[in-house]
Amino acid sequence: MTPVLGSISLSLALGVAFISILLFSLFLKKSDYRFFIAGWRATVVVSALTILATLILLYELLLSNFDISYVAHYTSLETPTFYKITALWAGQSGSLLFWLFILSVYTLIVLYQYRNSYSKLMPWIIIVLVFVQIFFLILVNIVENPFMPTDADFVVINGNGLNPLLQNLTMAIHPPTLYLGYVGFTIPFAFAIAALVTKETGSVWIRSIRRWTLIAWLFQSGGIILGGWWAYQELGWGGYWAWDPVENASFMPWLTGTAFLHSIIIQEKKGLLKTWNMVLILVTFTLCIFGTFLTRSGVMSSVHAFAVSNLGPIFIVFIVIILVICIYLIISRLPYLKSEKRIESFTSRESGFLLNNVIFITICFAVFWGTIFPVLSEAVSGDKITVGAPFFNRVNIPIGLMLLFFTGVGPLLAWRRTSKDAFIRNFSIPIISGIAIFIVCLIFGIRNTTLISFPLTAFVFTAILIEFQRGINSRVTRFDESFLKALQTLIARNRSRYGGYIAHLGIVFMFIGFSGQAFDTELEFALKKGDSKIFDGYSFELVSIDPVERPNHIAWIAGINVWNLEKHLVTTLYPEKRVYFHLDPNPEKRQPHSELDIHTTIYKDIYSIFSGVDIEKQIAYLKIMINRLVYWVWFGGYVLIIGTMISLWPAKEY
Amino acid sequence: MNKKKVTIAVSTLTLLAVVWIGFVTFSPNQENPGMVRFLSLSEIQTVKENERIRLGGLVYPGSILISEKNQLECNFQLKQGEHSIPVLFTGTRPDLFKDDAEVIVEGNYIDGAFVADQLQTKCASRFEGELRNEASYNTESI
Repeated sequence: MTPVLGSISLSLALGVAFISILLFSLFLKKSDYRFFIAGWRATVVVSALTILATLILLYELLLSNFDISYVAHYTSLETPTFYKITALWAGQSGSLLFWLFILSVYTLIVLYQYRNSYSKLMPWIIIVLVFVQIFFLILVNIVENPFMPTDADFVVINGNGLNPLLQNLTMAIHPPTLYLGYVGFTIPFAFAIAALVTKETGSVWIRSIRRWTLIAWLFQSGGIILGGWWAYQELGWGGYWAWDPVENASFMPWLTGTAFLHSIIIQEKKGLLKTWNMVLILVTFTLCIFGTFLTRSGVMSSVHAFAVSNLGPIFIVFIVIILVICIYLIISRLPYLKSEKRIESFTSRESGFLLNNVIFITICFAVFWGTIFPVLSEAVSGDKITVGAPFFNRVNIPIGLMLLFFTGVGPLLAWRRTSKDAFIRNFSIPIISGIAIFIVCLIFGIRNTTLISFPLTAFVFTAILIEFQRGINSRVTRFDESFLKALQTLIARNRSRYGGYIAHLGIVFMFIGFSGQAFDTELEFALKKGDSKIFDGYSFELVSIDPVERPNHIAWIAGINVWNLEKHLVTTLYPEKRVYFHLDPNPEKRQPHSELDIHTTIYKDIYSIFSGVDIEKQIAYLKIMINRLVYWVWFGGYVLIIGTMISLWPAKEY
Repeated sequence: MNKKKVTIAVSTLTLLAVVWIGFVTFSPNQENPGMVRFLSLSEIQTVKENERIRLGGLVYPGSILISEKNQLECNFQLKQGEHSIPVLFTGTRPDLFKDDAEVIVEGNYIDGAFVADQLQTKCASRFEGELRNEASYNTESI
């Protein structure tokens, strides 16, 4: 019974969504406020119905109702309850419904939060939100309905189950976090379109748009970092970022979103770059939809991609519609987007922001170019060329380092113009610390990119510290506060600014982590029980290979003692070779899986993978990687998230 | 600083960026190529000397041979429609590598065989695949 209810609520939602658009058009035409109220309520109904449908699917997943194709494909009786819940976004149609679910929740928040404000913008904001809802409602109603009955001429006693790779806590959090980011950009997009349509391009809505962008950006950053972390812990190739099309798809809106978060500050403070900001936020949303398209259409082969489907053309139509509307609106509203002032000097914070934007856009374009190059080259020359990580690294390392440099320079520049004295005062210490680290690197014989990246991180780190120290000092002298109290009030009273600096610190730490890659080493070898192998300053001794049987898999666990060259035991690693569903009568269904083990310190990770086993001869085939400074990527990630949260925290009224 | 100067500065930077991206795209770097041709087996004669290429196809059922001496060494036939080619791969094999799996290999074509240093599998077939009719299984064999 309930699956039918799910389908019905989805089709009802689509119908009511059209009614809602109709009501708003009537309101705009006749200016009768009753139409607005009715449209507002219709939108609440649309959102409530999609939320209801999502809850119904969740309920069916928990009940293991295998009459629904989706439930049968992504869960089984043995799937733990927690992963039955996460199966909601494990497959194509479920994840589309989940997208819609989040959009509906956001829509409800917007509806209630701004019930009594932005009277001119609100109808258009709601129209845009409903328009996007309609697109996804069409997808889940017509193209990929999650409530489709099982297409089998037999009674399905048990479902297929969730991929063991996805049965991991991080993997359960990563997709929803990323969705919250992707979908969140719909709100600033709706604000921007509404502002363009109504010609209200002033600063009234900047605070709201900035807040919403920051919320979306926070989730997007968190989602990307979690994804990297999952790949590192689970996929067993020793890295966290592969420049895979789908990773790029999430990175591109992050880049333009970051650019927007910076350049909106100049619009707020100086009334500059209005057109540019509009373009940025529109592009960010379009890239979000493009990313959703890349993941789902099967255009790109990728570990992330869902099965090939016929969603592609519909997405392309939607993207084209968005682009046409955006371009038309921007061009026709150009006169309303004139800057109120202009940039006065090269050495001003304004030009720093401008440069920052150019760099972000360059990286975004480089990533976009590399991502679509295979499709382009095949269309142009007929040769299908695949673009791998070396291309992206080679293109982006110099640009990324430049970005890092300006992360340090920007905040030290004054608005309008930086005087020569201020220049020397602000920059001397950071430059000296950069040079000092450069010399230290030279002495230690470092001759790769880190010879540039380490001094730069030192430069930026000191620059940010100086910024804090100046603020604290002035409070200590003016209000006679203690150091800690001054730090606390400084941050509390300028949350968005100092939260931003803390986020910059996070970026610096992450760059330290990225730099560590230059020193990574790896070795694959076979090891007989009792033997040991020396590699990169450690001795790896295979102590045991033990079989263990668990509810849905069998595992061989290798016990590896890791000794340093002074003969101290560093750690014992237990990587596992597992076979899932080993009892399945059909050998085709059995799935091997390598569960790796990592020993982490702030200097390096010892990363072990159990590739294969020869039980008779008691030989384990191992892959060991020594990954330098990876810890700093995750640590920097935390700092970045905390800084962003500080920025977002509502300011107390003083 | 007038508007013209800003335009000049921004366009110079943009131009530099485009030149740089173009340079990396079209300058081959033998040691670390980021761009590799993805060929079908019928095109394999067009391979230039020392050129790294990618091939995609299915693992011919029953063709996987794992070396007795070193389990990391493995031979198999890559099948693409009518054509097939022997592949030699040394290294950790992905968990989903097995008969009939869809794989992508990267490496060099040497004397009629393909020496791969990268092996990727596509798609966890079990999870996107057909549903099982459990009623028809012989429960005693489970």
